[in-house]
Amino acid sequence: MSEHRDTVGLHSFMQDRRTLFCYSGPMTEDLLTTIANPVRHQLSEKETEEVVANRVFGVFIEQAQNIIRYSHQKTKATGDSVGTIAISLDDDSFLIEAVNVVSESKRDLLEATLVDLSVKDQKELRALYRQRLKEGPPEDSVGAGLGFIEMARRVKRFEFDFQAHEFGALFVYRGWVS
Amino acid sequence: MIFEQTQRTPYVEIGSTACVIRGECYPENISEWSGPVLEALEGAMKHNNGSFEVSIELYYFNSSSAKFLFDFFEYLEETAEAGRDIVVKWLYRAEDDTMLEAGEDFQEDLETCTYELVQIENEQTS
Repeated sequence: MSEHRDTVGLHSFMQDRRTLFCYSGPMTEDLLTTIANPVRHQLSEKETEEVVANRVFGVFIEQAQNIIRYSHQKTKATGDSVGTIAISLDDDSFLIEAVNVVSESKRDLLEATLVDLSVKDQKELRALYRQRLKEGPPEDSVGAGLGFIEMARRVKRFEFDFQAHEFGALFVYRGWVS
Repeated sequence: MIFEQTQRTPYVEIGSTACVIRGECYPENISEWSGPVLEALEGAMKHNNGSFEVSIELYYFNSSSAKFLFDFFEYLEETAEAGRDIVVKWLYRAEDDTMLEAGEDFQEDLETCTYELVQIENEQTS
């Protein structure tokens, strides 16, 4: 067996990092419909309180829909958005991770948005959510621009990063829920 | 009129005196789903001038659906301002702070509608 097709290694890696669910590839709304129930099931298997499970699920849905709407990497045949999304256990929290390519032109806007959200407390986030709901989306947003605010309200903390990528910048988002 | 519940959309029942929404809301395309619902609501409310009760029991909705709810409440508020007696009941499960906060936030924009936050037991499964 060739070294780069390390199947047992993949298994051990996912188990060791306590990943409950991971998908990497073209992401569509149809796929999200299909995986939503298994994801819910995984969360309830962990005997999580329902309110916590709902928060994890909420962040997962927003991340998945972000990939669908904003991933700059598309499949050749169908133009579907490509990305990676995962839910893992991390100490006593759930870690929800998403990775996708964004265009260089969107990178600065996204970074500024997330820096702004990261310094806001729950009360400010709640007020911003209401304001955005009333005023509608900012320019350049496909959705109502609420997704990242929604996530920031549901997580205990979040981190993000941008890395160089051939199609733009690789956007990495990590949110912890407990 | 009844819109059956699906995995990603709530059960919706709209009659001439009441409207019930119950379940989860994170449809593939919010406007495709919400368009007919808002149309049915407007149609039903035109057939009657009496009081109208709206009961909303959601367990989860995504950020795209929040915009629908905002428009939904805006329509109810405008209708109430035009003289209609409208009662809104926002049902949330005990300990579900997320849905309680959402209910409180929508309440802030409703002045003419009668609005009640109603805590319910945790029996229902979503």
